[in-house]
Amino acid sequence: MTCLLCDKSLDYQPTWQHFLGIQQDTSACPTCLEKFERIDQVIEDDRLDSVHSLYAYNEAAREYLHQFKFMQDVALAQIFSPSLRSVLNDSKKIVVPIPMHPINKRKRTFSQVDALLEAAKIPYQSLLEKTTESVMGEKSRSERLAMTELFRVTADIDSNEAIYVLVDDIYTTGTTLRHAAEALKQRGVHRVEAVTLFRPMREK
Amino acid sequence: MSERHQLKQFLAGRIWLRHLMPFPEETVDEAIRQGEIHIEQGVTSKKTWHGTHYTCQRCHNENPTRFTVFTCAQCEAPCAYCRNCLNMGRVSCCSELLTWTGTLPAFPTQHRMNWQGNLTPSQQKATRELLDSTKQGVSHLLYAVCGSGKTEMLFQPIHYVLNEGKRVCLAAPRVDVILELLPRLTTAFPDTRIEALYGGAEVEHFDAQLILATTHQLYRFHEAFDVIFVDEADAFPYTADETLQRAVRKAAKPNAPIHFVTATPSSQLLAMNKKQGNISILARRYHGQPLPVPRSVALWNYDKQLKKKRIPAKLLRWTTERLDKQQPFLIFFHQIELMELAEPLFQKLDERICAVHAEHEDRKQRVQLLRQKEIPGLLTTTILERGITIPNVQVAVVGAEQTIFNKGALIQIGGRVGRSVPNTSGDFVLFHQGITHAMDEAKREIRKLNRTEVPQ
Repeated sequence: MTCLLCDKSLDYQPTWQHFLGIQQDTSACPTCLEKFERIDQVIEDDRLDSVHSLYAYNEAAREYLHQFKFMQDVALAQIFSPSLRSVLNDSKKIVVPIPMHPINKRKRTFSQVDALLEAAKIPYQSLLEKTTESVMGEKSRSERLAMTELFRVTADIDSNEAIYVLVDDIYTTGTTLRHAAEALKQRGVHRVEAVTLFRPMREK
Repeated sequence: MSERHQLKQFLAGRIWLRHLMPFPEETVDEAIRQGEIHIEQGVTSKKTWHGTHYTCQRCHNENPTRFTVFTCAQCEAPCAYCRNCLNMGRVSCCSELLTWTGTLPAFPTQHRMNWQGNLTPSQQKATRELLDSTKQGVSHLLYAVCGSGKTEMLFQPIHYVLNEGKRVCLAAPRVDVILELLPRLTTAFPDTRIEALYGGAEVEHFDAQLILATTHQLYRFHEAFDVIFVDEADAFPYTADETLQRAVRKAAKPNAPIHFVTATPSSQLLAMNKKQGNISILARRYHGQPLPVPRSVALWNYDKQLKKKRIPAKLLRWTTERLDKQQPFLIFFHQIELMELAEPLFQKLDERICAVHAEHEDRKQRVQLLRQKEIPGLLTTTILERGITIPNVQVAVVGAEQTIFNKGALIQIGGRVGRSVPNTSGDFVLFHQGITHAMDEAKREIRKLNRTEVPQ
């Protein structure tokens, strides 16, 4: 096995824990993993009940997302499986990935959030559908804030009482997540939380 | 020039992803309808009793750990992609690779060679032999010691091939080598279309007849060249990566000669060329002086001493002597961590001493500072083992017994010493804790080369 990020071979020592399936396979070397800065920042918002961001969007994160999304290296989805599993382990909560527009998804050949969840073996429900083809990353802040409805709920909501957790790769202005939460709340959902892998940190 | 013609010049000899073609879709579609382009599935799969066997049709990677299978939204099926050549655009089961099958573009047959340098008798002999092999279409190994003027010996054979209207590639495993070769070749062949290809460089001249490329870039060529020269054929990663060796073979036309140029050929390369090719040995540097023979000095527990923030006594003496005599020096380490531990200790002797390794962006600049005597010496990893010339440089290897310092690496490191006139020799010392076979073999090889008779 080699590290998915730097291609150096991983030290592999057989252990009983590994044999019994308690210890998970690692897919990246410690040197590469160290470059990601864990922040576990939780913020509250008027429409989103809480947003939990796992890592700072630093240079390593930027390179990671570039290789994962734009170079289409699906294998990189595994790298954050353990950390995603650790925060999305509550089986009572319903995990809802932020979707891509079908045309964009076909172009990229995969949806990055679905790939992250699948790699982590986290069950999820695709309740949302993206209604516009436009991509947030290409918009200015004011354009983003002025956007009207971005998502539509496609399936029936089973239970209004359950907690829904939206998952996205990066939190920037929060527009995407707020729109998605709004769409769910209009269908009567009481509590919508969110988990994102990265979040840019303000310079102090 | 019509777009069709440009398409032909671009794609002839290349193997390219359809969705990354630098042409409008209609132009490509039209050529496909005309039967001038062949479409190939990017990754092919074969079912075997123990699973599915994948092959990347671009880089010919077959290693199962270098493929990832995922549910593809485009082909709506499990789809495998190759991680070996990912950074050139992803190749998967549902992507299409294009190759040109139409008529081949013609290249000019009149090329001016602007180079009046003098070759020594032994260089002349080697050049003649290389040219003969090129004419016969036989692969040739040019085994020439460090500092013997290898690049200059390639000019005549390259000129010959260009004048035949044929396409030539000069490949090397490392981008540093390519960037160093480019200005020398553009000066030597001022009227020839030359292009350098390496990671991050875009294809600009579709009609380049002489291509300088890292061996990785040859993944994207298919039966393109009439002659390929592989410079520094023993350097990492070329020898370690079988797909790179296949890439070179694949980029050459069938039966086209592939010439290797190196100062430290592997036994495999020597054996291959003994069996089915020619070898020229150039045992003397262009100034005619023998290669510096390394001396071994025991330096026990150097790692422990460095960890205790102390420079081992013999190494300290060697370094202060260089500082006193104002001789530039290079000290090679086997490990970045150990080198970084040593860096502040050496800076106490002279604060201008600094370390370089592969991730330092400004390593070129630091080498330049050493050349200009702004810096008295550098600590380095094997990254500086080849391709650099610093007048009157003195070299020490710390931990010469480490496996990273194999015979080839030691000979290359020694090749930094005494390259230019008037400082045709210098100190080449191996600090070790136990002599290895590699050290013995390197020393034996250097002595053997120094004993070889050379034509006068």
